[in-house]
Amino acid sequence: MPASKNHKRLFRNDLIFIAVLFVLVSVLGLCFYLSHGEGDEVVVTVDGEVFGTYSLSDDITVEIRTGEQGKELNLLVIKDGKAHVETASCPDGICAGHKPISRKGESIVCLPHRVFITVHGADKKEEPDIIV
Amino acid sequence: MKKRILLCLVIGSMLIQCMGVTACGKKLTKYSMYSFDYFDTVTTISGYAKDEEEFDRIAEGMLEELGEYHRLFTIYHRFDGLENLCTVNELVDGMHRTVTVDRRIIDMLLYAREMYEATNGIVNIAMGSVLSLWHEYREAGIDDPYAAKLPPMEKLTEAAKHTDINQMVIDEEACTVTLTDPSMTLDVGAIAKGYAVEMIARSLEEREITGYVINVGGNVRTVGAKGDGETWTVGIENPEDSVNSYLAYLGLSGEALVTSGSYQRYYVVDGKRYHHIIHPETLMPSEDYLSVSVVCTSSADGDAFSTALFCMNLTDGMALVEKLPEIEAMWVETDGTRHTSTGFERYVKNIEKR
Repeated sequence: MPASKNHKRLFRNDLIFIAVLFVLVSVLGLCFYLSHGEGDEVVVTVDGEVFGTYSLSDDITVEIRTGEQGKELNLLVIKDGKAHVETASCPDGICAGHKPISRKGESIVCLPHRVFITVHGADKKEEPDIIV
Repeated sequence: MKKRILLCLVIGSMLIQCMGVTACGKKLTKYSMYSFDYFDTVTTISGYAKDEEEFDRIAEGMLEELGEYHRLFTIYHRFDGLENLCTVNELVDGMHRTVTVDRRIIDMLLYAREMYEATNGIVNIAMGSVLSLWHEYREAGIDDPYAAKLPPMEKLTEAAKHTDINQMVIDEEACTVTLTDPSMTLDVGAIAKGYAVEMIARSLEEREITGYVINVGGNVRTVGAKGDGETWTVGIENPEDSVNSYLAYLGLSGEALVTSGSYQRYYVVDGKRYHHIIHPETLMPSEDYLSVSVVCTSSADGDAFSTALFCMNLTDGMALVEKLPEIEAMWVETDGTRHTSTGFERYVKNIEKR
């Protein structure tokens, strides 16, 4: 048996092995990226249920409607990577008086409307897990 | 031959990458849950679990337990067939009844009595008559800001005559409580949340569950370290300043952090803010600090001492904390000046600012 043929087959097997490995690594890498690599986002919950999730990098305005027929309002504004409540129909107005939030773990609460607005993001060492 | 070596290197590095990825895949994931149902504030629970189902089971169990404490300790709501602090406060024919209550109420009231001693009478759950006046005027003022008023001092001083904690009679054997002064009521606002949080944390610890943190309106209690073994990083917010967002970062694993702040609950009268932490002697909101934070092992102690320190001047407060080796504190004066007790530094985590 010529040595060159043997060599060739071996090389082809190597190629298959590499290809399989490459696909495997790509798939795993993609899964890893999707589960951990997301950017910071603003999560709004009303009474513990998720109302909406918005990217902190988009400049948008969200009407958070609550109460009977949605007559209560907290107007969430995301601008320049920061989120704040522009106006609210709640009696105390503490949410609208809260400074803008942008860092993971920061939150704005509206107790009367049971609205909780918080920044989610990937676990980074340099940022807090909880903010009080 | 050179090609072979190159191939081996490529395959080798891929294998290592593979192993790395799968090892990360086994990592615990962090989940969170929020609730508005208890103690008139927001509750957040975060924890590291192997999947969402496991987290939901544990977190919902914690909320259920929190709900039980809420129903027992609330002074604002009655529940059918349940004797709680609301029914203890009630008058029947002009008198308080002797009420047989759940053991958990007795234990909390006994703890509150201890805290009365430990804080030289500043944390006094028998202040219900005074605090309910403030509550009433605050609620009215929030509802109708243009008509917001302060409670009249004559009313406050009259109410303050009925705040003697010794008029709360507890029979430990029989599990009963009686308020012998008909004009006196209980308000456990400075203690109940922290106490309930501590009980819930301990119930996790008994079941050897770790990697959780619960925060009920500023009463934070960590249960173990995070899923990856790192300490939890807790940022203490600077309520006034959005540039220097945090007053401090603390690294906690198993400890509690409780912050009492003048910015958490307040109303405005004639353009001035009046918050909810009332000094037992002046009967007015204490105005020395923006916030006082306490780090210690029990969130019940944290709650009581953060309230007490909020009502004490810095010299007395510092002296009190330095006497208690298990308690550390940070005071932030209204102008932003910070003071810390000597042991506070050991919890401070230096993390890079963004």
